Amino acid sequence: MKLIGLKDIYKIYNVGGEEVRALDGVDLKINNNEYMAIMGPSGSGKSTMMNMIGCLDSPSSGLYEFEGEKVHIMDDGQLASIRNRKIGFVFQTFNLLPKASALHNVEIPLVYANIKKEKRLKMASDALISVGLEDRMHHRPNELSGGQRQRVAIARALVNNPSIILADEPTGNLDSKSGHEIMKIFDELHRNGNTIILVTHEDDIAKYSNRIVRLLDGKIVKDEIVVKN
Amino acid sequence: MISLFYENLKISLVAVFANKTKSLLTALGIIIGVLSVTLMGTLISGLDRSFESSMSWLGKDVLYVSRYEWFSDMEWWEVKNRPRMRSEYVDKIKNLSKYALAVSPVMQRTASLSYADKETRTEIFGTNEEYMETISTDLDLGRFFSLSEDRNGSRVTIIGYGLKEAFFGSDNPIGKYIKIDNIKFRVIGVLEKQGKFLGLFSVDNQAILPLGAYNRIFSKRGWMRLSVKVPEQKIEDGHDEITGIMRQIRGLKPSEKSDFAINKTKAFEAQYNKLKLAIGGTGYFITLLSLIVGGIGIMNIMFVTVKERTREIGVRKAIGATNGMILSQFLMEAVTICFFAGLIGLLLAYIISLFINQVFPSTLPLGLSLFSIFISMLVGILSGIIPAYKASKLDPIDALRYE
Repeated sequence: MKLIGLKDIYKIYNVGGEEVRALDGVDLKINNNEYMAIMGPSGSGKSTMMNMIGCLDSPSSGLYEFEGEKVHIMDDGQLASIRNRKIGFVFQTFNLLPKASALHNVEIPLVYANIKKEKRLKMASDALISVGLEDRMHHRPNELSGGQRQRVAIARALVNNPSIILADEPTGNLDSKSGHEIMKIFDELHRNGNTIILVTHEDDIAKYSNRIVRLLDGKIVKDEIVVKN
Repeated sequence: MISLFYENLKISLVAVFANKTKSLLTALGIIIGVLSVTLMGTLISGLDRSFESSMSWLGKDVLYVSRYEWFSDMEWWEVKNRPRMRSEYVDKIKNLSKYALAVSPVMQRTASLSYADKETRTEIFGTNEEYMETISTDLDLGRFFSLSEDRNGSRVTIIGYGLKEAFFGSDNPIGKYIKIDNIKFRVIGVLEKQGKFLGLFSVDNQAILPLGAYNRIFSKRGWMRLSVKVPEQKIEDGHDEITGIMRQIRGLKPSEKSDFAINKTKAFEAQYNKLKLAIGGTGYFITLLSLIVGGIGIMNIMFVTVKERTREIGVRKAIGATNGMILSQFLMEAVTICFFAGLIGLLLAYIISLFINQVFPSTLPLGLSLFSIFISMLVGILSGIIPAYKASKLDPIDALRYE
């Protein structure tokens, strides 16, 4: 079932009078329960692509449909709402709030979704349990290891039952052991029916996915299915 | 939206209390502003109260006829050259006036009073039997003297409450004899407690004698005024009428200027309002200035906060905060600082007002306290709105990338 449809997407910046085409006519379909990696060297447009899919950015031209909703005509408020309801972000630098406990960090998207306190706490602690942090709920980020912080971030991304989880170099700041642990969590999320989009430049990490889309100079140059042995 | 409100409140409290010194310094202007507005209000309310009670002691329905005009800049020799008031005027005014309800002559001097081994110097008043109608104080004990006691020079006296306390403590003074300049007077009444006139000097230590006795023992010559009570709503008509009668008594030609003055408590009010305006004006000026300075301080620190937390703003937007939610978060933070600043200012004002109260009766008015909290929160909104707006308009991508 089609989840995301990008059609003829352009993102054009004007840098010092010079036109930069960060995305140069991109067509892409993403189905439900796909596990996709977006790869490319820096400057290839993969960050812009991720921002576009994550509804943080609007295209200069082109059509973007997300579960039938026309994202390309949405205003700031509608974009915030779709990010809140349908997208879970996992960042390279975790981006947790340093003064809040793990539980509270996971709770924040639910605050913005206007969910009641008791339900919020239940959902947030369930999410933390699902990433194996049941005994770290009241710790602050600086009391957690890098791998644990990223798991808190994953719990935060999961808590709203989003349609996609968008992970931007999720293992970039982790040692390889914790990195692979994090990837195992994504694997499991995928098995449970989640749609996952991974942005990475590491082949090792991209191999976890089922489909790799390669970008260069704002264009999709390769879209391949990963054959697992 | 309620959960968002609590969330914002929590964020604000954490932000404010995580950096107590910074918050306190930021809030100093607001603290001083609230302190000055509430202290000034306390002072004015105290002044109002003591003025009000002092004025009721004088009586709003009484005309004071004397040589001297209150708060005028007349030269003293000019006053001195005017003819004195005379007790004969009392009957003349009573006969001619249709407004006068009571007329009493009042002479005043200091004298030495003693009872047993206690002695004090205080003001004594010589007057007639209608005096009680021209003041608004009642008797606490006993009675006032009668017309015949005045006529035959009876040595009786009505003493102030303070004098009674000093001389007799809790004993009944009625019928006891005290000495005024070594002459025995029988106490027949005690005035009720009045407090301090304008908060300055006590009027509770006076002694009132019949004018007959006063004239015989002390002096016929001396400073005298006439108190004329008229119906309160007829005070202006009464003023005109008494002016006419006095001119007639003095035999003044229409071209001649009046050689007396008729004073009303209104003169006090005008003077008092000028004073109040001066205190209030200065106070408001200081308040306004410190609130503006304080507001700029808050705005500045909020800009810094927004800058420092740019990345946090990016994260919050990525996980679904709308512009309005970010705006309300930072606005709440500014308002929270200002709210606590107002509270601290109010607390300091309350403590200081307790000290002021020792020398000058005053209390912190509740309405003003609430108002000052409201004002400081308003300053929070005004100074927080621009930084909060800036935060809300941040592009989430740039904000997330911000180092």
